[in-house]
Amino acid sequence: MVLHTVNCPPSHPALGQCLRLLAPGDALLLLGDGVYAALAGSRAAAELAASGAALHVLDVDARAAGVLERLADGVSVCDDEGFVALTERYPRQQAWY
Amino acid sequence: MNYALLVLASPFSGTGSLTAARFAEAALGRGHHIARVFFLDQGVGAGMATAVSPQGEADPVARWADLAARHDLELVLCVSSALKRGLLDDTEAARYEREAHTVHPAFEIGGLGLLVEATAQADRVVTFGGSA
Repeated sequence: MVLHTVNCPPSHPALGQCLRLLAPGDALLLLGDGVYAALAGSRAAAELAASGAALHVLDVDARAAGVLERLADGVSVCDDEGFVALTERYPRQQAWY
Repeated sequence: MNYALLVLASPFSGTGSLTAARFAEAALGRGHHIARVFFLDQGVGAGMATAVSPQGEADPVARWADLAARHDLELVLCVSSALKRGLLDDTEAARYEREAHTVHPAFEIGGLGLLVEATAQADRVVTFGGSA
């Protein structure tokens, strides 16, 4: 039960490193340029979906990147309160950057 | 719950520092306590009193200072990260014989021990990473 956060674009090694550990029961929150990994139809989004983890994007960053309207299925949008709620639910956070 | 925040993200590029400030505000709003916010590496820029944000752009230094003033938050800049970037408070400016102090009064300078202490005591540690 780990909350992973990724703030780098899919081309950065951080996402691949996260994917190696991301497991069902974990959650992933995409922040900053990390939100591009949630683009519908992208390879990154397919790999994330296959991990079995719960997938989230931060609303402000997804909106700024233009990703909000093109989110892959199964990715939920969370605001700052939702981010805090994720840390309440998942006792440990692993930040990938 | 008791939170400790570690901010590695620069306030001058990317969104990480502002995201951390918004997270802190949201956590306090949900009734949590924030024991300490520790700024490390490029994250220490958040305490730069002499930074001037362009008109119309977010001002992370003011954002953190305002948050600290309203909620009595403890904001600590890692001493070695701060000094090598020219971030000095009164004490360090006197110690190293520099003419100006450049740290915003809402921040203090401290050692890594303060990070260790905060993470040991916290129920939750949230890191805001450096790149992007």
